[in-house]
Amino acid sequence: MSERSKTHVRGVAALGTALLVLGGAIVHAQTSDRTVWTGVYTSDQAERGKAAYAEQCAACHGPTLAGIDVAPPLTGSAFLNNWNNTSAGDLFERIHTTMPQNNPGSLSGKTVSDIEAYMFQANGFPAGQTALPPSQPMMAGIKILATKPAG
Amino acid sequence: MKGISRRRLLASTASTFVLSGLVGGGRAIGATAPSGTTTPHPDTEWRYYAADQANTRYSPLDQINAANFNDLEVAWTFKTDALGARKEYQFESTPLLIKGRLFTTAGPRRDCIALDAATGELLWMHRLDEGARALNSPRQLSGHGVSYWTDGTKERILYVTTGYQLVSLDAATGQPDPEFGTNGIVDLKRDFDQEIDLVDSDVALHSTPMVVKDVVVVGAAHAAGDVPVTRHTVRGYVRGFDARTGRRKWIFHTIPLKGEYGYDTWLDGDADKATNGGAWAQMSADEELGLVYIPVELPTGDETGMYRRGDALFGESLVAVDIETGRRRWHYQMVHHGLWDRDVPCAPILCDIPHNGRIVKALAQPTKQAYLYVLDRTNGKPIWPIVERKVEKGDVPGEWYSPTQPVPSKPPAYDVQGVAIDDLIDFTPELRAQAVEFVKNYKIGPLFTPPVISKPGRWGTISAPGVQGGTNWPGGSYDPETHVVYVYSKTQPSLMGIVGNADPEVTESPFVHGVAGVTPRKMPLMGAESGGGDFRPPPPPPPRPGQKAGPPPGFLTVQGLPLLKPPYGRITAIDLTKGDIAWQAAHGETPDNIRNHPALKGLKIPRTGRPGNLGPLTTKTLVICGEAGFYTNEYGVRGAMLRAYDKATGMEKGAVYMPAPQSGSPMTYMLKGKQYLVVAIGGGNYSAELVAYRLPGKA
Repeated sequence: MSERSKTHVRGVAALGTALLVLGGAIVHAQTSDRTVWTGVYTSDQAERGKAAYAEQCAACHGPTLAGIDVAPPLTGSAFLNNWNNTSAGDLFERIHTTMPQNNPGSLSGKTVSDIEAYMFQANGFPAGQTALPPSQPMMAGIKILATKPAG
Repeated sequence: MKGISRRRLLASTASTFVLSGLVGGGRAIGATAPSGTTTPHPDTEWRYYAADQANTRYSPLDQINAANFNDLEVAWTFKTDALGARKEYQFESTPLLIKGRLFTTAGPRRDCIALDAATGELLWMHRLDEGARALNSPRQLSGHGVSYWTDGTKERILYVTTGYQLVSLDAATGQPDPEFGTNGIVDLKRDFDQEIDLVDSDVALHSTPMVVKDVVVVGAAHAAGDVPVTRHTVRGYVRGFDARTGRRKWIFHTIPLKGEYGYDTWLDGDADKATNGGAWAQMSADEELGLVYIPVELPTGDETGMYRRGDALFGESLVAVDIETGRRRWHYQMVHHGLWDRDVPCAPILCDIPHNGRIVKALAQPTKQAYLYVLDRTNGKPIWPIVERKVEKGDVPGEWYSPTQPVPSKPPAYDVQGVAIDDLIDFTPELRAQAVEFVKNYKIGPLFTPPVISKPGRWGTISAPGVQGGTNWPGGSYDPETHVVYVYSKTQPSLMGIVGNADPEVTESPFVHGVAGVTPRKMPLMGAESGGGDFRPPPPPPPRPGQKAGPPPGFLTVQGLPLLKPPYGRITAIDLTKGDIAWQAAHGETPDNIRNHPALKGLKIPRTGRPGNLGPLTTKTLVICGEAGFYTNEYGVRGAMLRAYDKATGMEKGAVYMPAPQSGSPMTYMLKGKQYLVVAIGGGNYSAELVAYRLPGKA
């Protein structure tokens, strides 16, 4: 291996380390503080989600997300407590793989994340500047907290 | 058996059942030990959904008791993820236990499986891919489990598929019984006294068939009827089939045909065009009396009834029919012309109780409305008077209102009924004041306050119990030795507003359940033909909610907290020797959002309980029931507890951790000297699982 090659290898290695550090920093910034209280969806997204909800979900979960006889509420204490300390990714996964019940798996990731944004809005979580991403791994770091953390 | 005195016989329903062989379930618990055995802990069985045909969910076992409950360990778990094409999160089964093997349905495709009851090892699996027929089903997922039939030689496991087919399997192998139906299957959409589409029609069933003698009784369930797209769908008739051949023996018309009993309780022949009226709950049976007890739901329209005017039998009634012929022996209607979605949701509990100096063959029916109706099960007459009381009429054009409703004098209601100021949240005076302001925008009143037209400033009636009850499908439990019923219920009100509908494509009904300003949505059609024809245009739609009309409608919360005060979930012990409540216990840990709520900081709040659908198990000394929801414990771990109460006092005696809430009611059995508790769990982000607990030590 030539000297130059070694340098190149070191350079690549250094770049890799830098990326790792940088990546680590990004991941750190995304995971440590991101909760449903920090503005993890946009108002536009929630509007789209509202329309998708009406089309795909309202028949069973009710027009106000309050649930009916055969489907649970998607707002309020019962919903929030059952999902407290899970992640937006967990909720995404559940919706994406099991809903709607008469055609599970038929909703695109984008539609699911829009619907989830609408659910977050309906539960009183604030909108922000970044939309919920359309895939489970990308939102795994967003924590669902039933009550707003102090401070 | 020899030692049982006549006195004890009279005192004990269980013993009576066992000795006379009236109720197969009696056999299933105490009497299944081989005769002459000397082992201190003979194996037991669990042959019916709730232990026996009487639906007691009772076992006299006591190896697991107050002293050792906290020592319970997980014996095995069975994760259902591998069954079906995706995970399931709503596993409502109670497995059966026969000769050391557990039988249940599981997974989103509703496969039928057999497990080794000592290890949880999968023994066989039966899978029916029904394609579009299953996808169109109004009852998805794994359902409540399976049923068992034997003639002493043959043993069969029976279950109803997602697509509404009755399957009979050889219990030993899981192979379909070639002598039953067509290759082991009876298509329940045929021979139904009505022509319905085999793929698209709106009928299915979560409940297990009731096997009684050699008859398999099967009910019917339909899509929810809040915004029914049409009333011309499927009638929820109940049928009895020969357990050996699958041949239909009888049918009972839950919506009577012209000339049949009950037809004239409908105005102007409304029954002719009505549908639904299913029997989706579990049933009970008394072999000696030759009766099956069938809980019936409403015909079309859960909160509106303009197309089913009159008392409209057999809506929200319990009907006793002959096991052999299906003929009605008696019925009792609990709500006349219901407008509150109060389907009779679970099996009545059959109980022989001392009353006025004699033992009465009674039954106790838990309900969504939180009354326990106690009736003589030979004739349907109330044990304690049930009085017709005048009730308020609503304001929905074209609606028919019953002038009276039956109100039991005993036992007292076991959960909040109706909404009064005193029922509102009262953790702090501020929260109470906000709740009082909140309800000014709604109609409140006693039980049977009707749903009203939803408009800004009066969004509808806040109904407690809500559409889910009270008590729902898991039903209660009963101690035959002390004559006490144990039943779980939740305090979770619903908004019952009625809105006009201008779009016959959404629903042919001019008025449906909803909130002003929110356009009614079409409910899943399940292939039904739209009726059309007699659509009546509604009045002009209400104005859009104004800025000053009050808080956004439909969210029954104050600062994110439940509008009504706790407990949100409770277990009630009801002493049937007196018709009184013996004790109540808040069931379920206080939810995270209440423990962490800023408005409640510094307050000491007693355990609030949790709302859900739970069935308790009763043993020799304990009432055992898992929690309905997740909470985050002191270690920061999510989960729920399986709790045990002293059945005499309601004092908690122990609790063990479950990774997810109870989703199916627990059962218990003794196997090779060890008592097991088995419970189905799941929900939220935790997929379905059966968990078996037993005490430490080598099995």
